[in-house]
Amino acid sequence: MIWDILRLSLRNIRHRGLRSWLTVIGILIGTAAVVALISVGQGLQRAIALQVERIVGYNTILVTARGLNLGQRIRLDIEAIRAIPGVRSAIAVRTETAYVEGPGGKGFLAVLGYDPPMEEFVAEMDLTVASGRPLAGPGEVLLGSRTARVLGAGVGDAVTIEGKSFTVVGILGAQRAGGFATGGLSLTDLLVISLPELRQLFRGPELVHYAVVRLADRADMALVRERIRDHLRAVGERNASLTDFEDLTRNIQSVIRGVQAFLAGIAGIALLVGGVGVMNTMYTAVLERTREIGVLKAIGAKDSHVLFLFLFESGFMGLAGGALGLLSGFGVAWVATLIVSRLFEAQGAFTPALTAGLVLGSLFFAFVVGAVSGLFPAVRAAKLPPVEALRYE
Amino acid sequence: MSTALVELQGVTKIYRLGEVEVPALRGVDLAVSPGDFLALMGPSGSGKSTLLHVLGLLDRPTAGRVLWEGRDVTRLNGGRLAELRGRRIGFVFQMFNLVPNLTALENVELPLVFLGVPGRERRRRAQEVLTRLGLGDRLRHRPNQLSGGQQQRVALARALVTDPALLIADEPTGNLDTTTGKEILGLFTQLNEQGRTIVLATHDPEAAAVAKARLRLRDGQIVGVER
Repeated sequence: MIWDILRLSLRNIRHRGLRSWLTVIGILIGTAAVVALISVGQGLQRAIALQVERIVGYNTILVTARGLNLGQRIRLDIEAIRAIPGVRSAIAVRTETAYVEGPGGKGFLAVLGYDPPMEEFVAEMDLTVASGRPLAGPGEVLLGSRTARVLGAGVGDAVTIEGKSFTVVGILGAQRAGGFATGGLSLTDLLVISLPELRQLFRGPELVHYAVVRLADRADMALVRERIRDHLRAVGERNASLTDFEDLTRNIQSVIRGVQAFLAGIAGIALLVGGVGVMNTMYTAVLERTREIGVLKAIGAKDSHVLFLFLFESGFMGLAGGALGLLSGFGVAWVATLIVSRLFEAQGAFTPALTAGLVLGSLFFAFVVGAVSGLFPAVRAAKLPPVEALRYE
Repeated sequence: MSTALVELQGVTKIYRLGEVEVPALRGVDLAVSPGDFLALMGPSGSGKSTLLHVLGLLDRPTAGRVLWEGRDVTRLNGGRLAELRGRRIGFVFQMFNLVPNLTALENVELPLVFLGVPGRERRRRAQEVLTRLGLGDRLRHRPNQLSGGQQQRVALARALVTDPALLIADEPTGNLDTTTGKEILGLFTQLNEQGRTIVLATHDPEAAAVAKARLRLRDGQIVGVER
């Protein structure tokens, strides 16, 4: 019997044609907005987790100024950290802005202190030279491609950095994006000299911006962290903090989740408005079909039959809106990520996520919004005294 | 004493319209026995429809008792009353009141749906009744594709499909032309001859004439019975 009532409900929805569609569209838009945002957000989370893992890797500890501040310098001795048992390798990163003069130009430019292990463990560090050769000894400098143009310098030319003369030994190849090891600066805009020389050029030779420490297999993370802390205490650095991969992803994920929940909440308002649309349609339907309700009751329909008749109608409209919204929302998310990927030339796989939870959750939620919105009109229909309903003109 | 099908004892019905109380029935006693064919007559507002609704268990009296086959059903809950209506009573209305987006066959099936009769049997019974009423070739038509007389016959089929003990009709010919009205009245006569108990309310003396007994109502009271 429940199936027959369901069929009747579907019939009534079809019968209302355009009005049903408009109602469904209300739910569709709300669901699509929620689905698109969550799908993009989950995709972003996944992409960031991958990226962080790829760049930083598990078993990696970041030593930075408190609050993951990559711009503030801290005091540490990278050799001492390398000597800690359980540390496989470690790099210190320092980038300074220096006054640079070349044969054909001059200006304030970023100079990166190069530490050979960098290339080994930072995937973004592409120090492949397009012409010339890599750094080999003191007094040598590599130029980013754009820096070379700015300074009008080529291989063999001399450039002065903060008054000290360096010989250009190579020009870096084209770079894809700013890397983690350079603090987000693009390698095309940098000069690269060896880290010891950079430290001597600037005030505070013991300072670095941050250090990245990779642990040996099966090393005890907690123990190594403790040893690094000991070292920081020994050199009098009180403003540093340690972050490992898990901390990092957790931080980023929680920020994304927060933003996502906020946006989904706003999108949820659209769904709520869709629900109000359903309620409006159903109240109108109850009013229009008052006589019919009276007739149904006269020929033996119980209150519950009438209730379900109307609940199914609104629930089904919710479900239909949810299903269509799910498809269009995912479509929107897909197009959006495509555009974002193009615009920011993001690397790696950034695709919207479509999890089973999202599919079932959004369908269920849309159905519930429909059914709940239809509840009051349906109860009103079910409670109509048959005689009054029959008398209704 | 033979048990009446439905019996009203001192039934009073008062409607409240805001502050005003409007009495629609005042102490009506009436027994409808199996095989009866009663016509309720009287001017508008005399209480015909209310009496019909109380007899059909669609409305509860403000005072008095309603006995259905000897059992007091005055205080029965809504669900039980709905079931009793569905099984034992058939209604025909002046406006036909078919569900517009269902076919003739589906409209007739509807009461059986609420009784939980399986689809196959439902269709068989609905088809049988419609065919008996001369609509065998109109099964798939929707109400707006049928004439007034055909619609009223579909409505009659819907009332009869459950094989009810009591058939209640409120101005069944009120929206039909004379010829068509006569056809419908002929069907009522036939049904009564086959033993169906019928109560109808009407303005139309011709309609009242086919009944075995006529009850005149005025101001919510039965003022005359004519057999």
